[in-house]
Amino acid sequence: MTLGTGLGADSARTWRDPADRPPPVPEALRPPAPGTVGPRERHRLLWERHRLRRERALTHLRESQDPERGLPVAPPGTVVRYLRGLLRRRAGLVVVVTLANALAAAAGLAVPLLLGRLVDVVVEADGRPGAGVVTDLALLVVGVLVAQAVLTYLAKWLAAVLGQGVLAEAREHVVRAVLRLPLGKVESASTGDLVTRVTRDVGSMSSAVRWALPEFIIGVVTVLLTVVAMVLNSWALAVPTLVTASLSLWQVRRYLQHAPAAYLLEGATYSLINSTLSETVEGARTVEALGLQPERRRAAADDIEVSSQAERYGLVLRNILFVVMDMAFSLPRVITLVVGAVLYARGVVTLGQITAAMLYIETFYGPFDRLVGTIDELQVGIASTTRLLGIAEVPPDRTPGEALPAGRELVGRGLRYAYREGQDVLHGIDLTLRPGERLAVVGPSGSGKSTLGRLLSGIHGPGSGSVTVGGVELVRLPLDALRREVALVTQEHHVFRGSVRDNLVLAREGASDDEVWRALATVDASTWVAALPRGLDTVLGAGNQVLTPAQAQQVALARLILADPHTLVLDEATSLIDPRTARHLEGSMSALLTNRTVVAIAHRLHTAHDADRIAVVQDGRIVELGSHDELMEADGEYAALWRAWTS
Amino acid sequence: MRDFPPTVTAWASPGSAGEPDTRGPGRFLWWLVRQQPDLIVAACLCSLAWMLPTALTPWVFGRAIDEGIVPGDRGQVLLWSAVLLVVTLVGASSGVFYHTVVVRSWLVASYGQTLMVTHKTARLGHVLTRRAPAGEVLSVSGGDGEQFGHFVEIVSRLVGNLVAYLLVAVIVLQISVPLGLVVLLVAPLLVVVSTVLLRPLSAAQTRERSRDSELTTMATDIVAGLRILRGIGGERIFGDNYARQSQRVRSAGVQAGGWAAFVEAVGVLLSGLFVVALLVLGVRAVGRGDLQIGQLVTFLGYAVFLVQPIRVVFEAAQQITRSFVSARKTIGVLGTPDPWPGRPPAELDAGGDLVDEASGLRARPGRLTMVVSAVPDDTAALADRLGRYLPADDTLTTPEDDEATGRAARRARLERETARAELAGRDAERAERPWGVHLGGVDLSRLPLEVVRRTVVVSDTRAHVFAGTLQDAVDPHHRLTREQAEEALHAAAAEDVFDILPGGWQGVLDERGRGLSGGQRQRLVLTRALATDAPVLVLVEPTSAVDAHTEARIAARLPGHRRGRTTVVMTASPLLLHHADEVAFVEDGRVVATGTHDELVASCEGYRRTVLRGEREPASAPVGTGRDGATSPDDGSTWGPAAPAGQQHVIPEHRPEEVTSP
Repeated sequence: MTLGTGLGADSARTWRDPADRPPPVPEALRPPAPGTVGPRERHRLLWERHRLRRERALTHLRESQDPERGLPVAPPGTVVRYLRGLLRRRAGLVVVVTLANALAAAAGLAVPLLLGRLVDVVVEADGRPGAGVVTDLALLVVGVLVAQAVLTYLAKWLAAVLGQGVLAEAREHVVRAVLRLPLGKVESASTGDLVTRVTRDVGSMSSAVRWALPEFIIGVVTVLLTVVAMVLNSWALAVPTLVTASLSLWQVRRYLQHAPAAYLLEGATYSLINSTLSETVEGARTVEALGLQPERRRAAADDIEVSSQAERYGLVLRNILFVVMDMAFSLPRVITLVVGAVLYARGVVTLGQITAAMLYIETFYGPFDRLVGTIDELQVGIASTTRLLGIAEVPPDRTPGEALPAGRELVGRGLRYAYREGQDVLHGIDLTLRPGERLAVVGPSGSGKSTLGRLLSGIHGPGSGSVTVGGVELVRLPLDALRREVALVTQEHHVFRGSVRDNLVLAREGASDDEVWRALATVDASTWVAALPRGLDTVLGAGNQVLTPAQAQQVALARLILADPHTLVLDEATSLIDPRTARHLEGSMSALLTNRTVVAIAHRLHTAHDADRIAVVQDGRIVELGSHDELMEADGEYAALWRAWTS
Repeated sequence: MRDFPPTVTAWASPGSAGEPDTRGPGRFLWWLVRQQPDLIVAACLCSLAWMLPTALTPWVFGRAIDEGIVPGDRGQVLLWSAVLLVVTLVGASSGVFYHTVVVRSWLVASYGQTLMVTHKTARLGHVLTRRAPAGEVLSVSGGDGEQFGHFVEIVSRLVGNLVAYLLVAVIVLQISVPLGLVVLLVAPLLVVVSTVLLRPLSAAQTRERSRDSELTTMATDIVAGLRILRGIGGERIFGDNYARQSQRVRSAGVQAGGWAAFVEAVGVLLSGLFVVALLVLGVRAVGRGDLQIGQLVTFLGYAVFLVQPIRVVFEAAQQITRSFVSARKTIGVLGTPDPWPGRPPAELDAGGDLVDEASGLRARPGRLTMVVSAVPDDTAALADRLGRYLPADDTLTTPEDDEATGRAARRARLERETARAELAGRDAERAERPWGVHLGGVDLSRLPLEVVRRTVVVSDTRAHVFAGTLQDAVDPHHRLTREQAEEALHAAAAEDVFDILPGGWQGVLDERGRGLSGGQRQRLVLTRALATDAPVLVLVEPTSAVDAHTEARIAARLPGHRRGRTTVVMTASPLLLHHADEVAFVEDGRVVATGTHDELVASCEGYRRTVLRGEREPASAPVGTGRDGATSPDDGSTWGPAAPAGQQHVIPEHRPEEVTSP
């Protein structure tokens, strides 16, 4: 970066006059003002808007399946294969659930038949049936009812067992996949995508598996059996319903084709609304300080306008479906009545059959409507599951070899690295760390110091060149072995939800309580941990025991003591320690650093002053390397800065 | 008729109308209904039309049997078929209107809620976050907004069903009084019985939900700490923890599923037995000649139908209960009072001295004053005072406990409400009395708050970078020319932010500036602050996360950019302090020495110790009072016994992104 130059042509090209800011949604999506166009034109425009909204939904669908940045999405078919695998492992349960549902539905459908039969009995006996006949029929119905109730209970409960089991296994699979993500990917990717996946996508997968899947099974079984029962009752009376229902199927199919994109877009617009609002809330102070109230209000209104368009698309899709379905499922009432009257007059059907047919018509709509709804939900769930399974598709970024390092010397040779093709951030760096030395890396932002730190700690493999420890390339070491050699320490000091012990032993699984206490004592944290209500078992994190920043820092330090790598790369990690606890921690930090090789990527020159050697990095090259005194003598970049600092 | 998106005017401008009634949950819900009378009335009518065919079909069918089919009267069959056709067509075609109106009504309520929360948040600014945690505010917009959508929906469904129930009551009583009474009384009884069973079910569901939300939090936590888990280890431990909780959710889910199955099975059994009983009674009545066969069919039809309106009544009762809870939470946020007293409009003369009584700081007009303190909290509090922000150490932080139920939850809620009200009272008192900071001899409390905010701009370490284009981030008000924006970017040495964003000024920043390094974000914040061109600018540790090279550049450019305007910088960086017109050194909250950097280095031991390295006094602040984002005056060494430098902590924050969709 050169001092004082302008931003060049890019600035002029990309600066936009606020007046020609695009509206949140295209003008074509707004209805014409009343009275400006005729009814026919208005009608045409309505469908035109619907088409435009469909395009927007499809574009969003494509983009969400193929995210520019972030993690991949599983190829089609993976979900079906995965789900099939899950179900196969529970084949017995699947069969029982389906069977129980089928029997429950069958029992339910027998009731109208029996009621119809009763009507016939009454008619045949001319209003005075024998008491025995009525009692028998009534008892039969009661028997069927009890059976239906028991079967319904079994079917629903087993469906819950099945759904919950499948869901638990699927989400645990996903989280294990997250925990296997390649180190390089974790360090470089934004976590936003991953957060969305483990929250929203797991949520919609969950409602698909827990609710939609059992309902789907029930729906299919009920609809099929209702058809069978109607035909058994009287095929002639079943015909009107079957004809109109099948006529509506093409519209149902159209709806099901378009609905997932619509609901995906709706969901996305709601998370946009939420993230804008959460920024407004978290940044409320900034909003107030800079007078951003109108801008934040407008941002919310814009998001809602975008969301409204998505809702409108879904609304019209549903309305088209409803027009067809409402007609298809209610007109048979009238037709069946007329047909029934004609057939009754000819003695083909009985009054009981007509009654049963009418009762079936009233019960047919419900399951069918629910079935359509569940297919919707299932499709959204499948889309989410594709993204979840995509996490497991990230290829590993290293193939560990067999060799183990002989020695502790960390050597980088000819290091180059590019985040984007052809744009090297490092231009051939050679660096040999002497065991036990303290090396400070200084240089302006963007000079490549952090990248160098990541290569030296084995997070990324170099584009070309090599980083070896004891003669073995870092990226050829298994992760567990790598962690014993070198650790990267950054500004983050995350405290996990979990016990104090969990928060520490993550650095060395299987560490004994003694070791944990020793590590805590080394960083002077044993006193307050011992004072916690349940000691090492105290659960930390929001809603539980909350640590002060200072305590969180101590936990982070204690982790490193337990991990015990011989080399530490501190990337701006100095902020790990709050100055107010510095006195408290000064011993702990040096306890951590004692007998280790330390590379400190530093903003601050004092860090450099005390180091054994200082590397000044500029534009991806080491331009100066030596002790403080040597560099002062050389009178270069470092010397100039130091003088500015101290004079 | 009203349509979505709704227009919300509440809190949009001073003295704006349209604010909700926050005197109580009932009043709030009533206000909500009054916001869309046309939609509610239309929805009730549509709901009634929609219920019509199901409510009338058994009757029409029975008449068709008795008057047409059985006697073989073709004319009567056609007549009743025609009646059924009309009823059916009215019902079927009302479906689309009903759905449209209900969706409108729902969205007007839930979008409206989001807009109100946004407006209220913007109006209250830092005052809101003192009183309600961010999560609570967000859930009032998301979860509670959705409840209000449900609420307006259930209102119309309830009305439609009640009218249908009355209609059916009239019909069955006309056919047969004793049977009619049985139908009308037993149906509600059945629902009452099943409602008793709903209680354990809803307890089981609540348990499942709360375990599930804990599980989501764990997943988010794993993602947030993934770098540590992959970098240092612990995948197995946290994977197992997650799996354990996942299994707890599973068992709670299975339990809830069991209850749901039980409730459903009992429902099937009871309503079935009801039909059977009716049937036996009906057959007897037919036998006695009291009832015709078609009328019996009608009764059977209604026995099945009547369960529905009563279900709706109970569903509505539950929904209204939930809506009351949501309304109470909403009032907690939307009803929190604005502490700032009204003041007559006045202009502030930025050409005078800025004086803080508590510390004795005096910043001269048009000059660059820097303040150094051994305790960063002191300078942060000083910046708050200079900008008339309420003190940060008196806030409400206890989070809501979702697990608690019953009496404990009620007591906790009451305590929270009391604490909130007390804090609001203290805030109002602080805002009313003299503030203790003068600009040009005028105490800040004597001016309208907007005037203070316009005149004195404070940019501190808590400053937030919003998602949007770089141009919007630097020039949110669209007041700058390109040259001015470039100058600000240059003065903050933030050109590299421009360079790394594809698309230059139109390059898109992620929320919270995610994707930028801590240093880049800090310089972007500085750019934005400089671009405001405020008459008085207060910067708190503006370069704490910036490397020395770049800091040197900023130090050289800052004075030129702010020339002629009053600037106060809280810092301990010698690179910056070199360029100050005047430096004030604060100890124990009081200015103890002033002068140029060189003078103070020469004359003041404490200053030297704080700014340049060396042994420090024992830290005066006890462990555990730290606040995130605080910065260090002390540039100690990473390895030394002295304190390392504090930088702005860049801790990515993650929260589950709730999706709320009707």
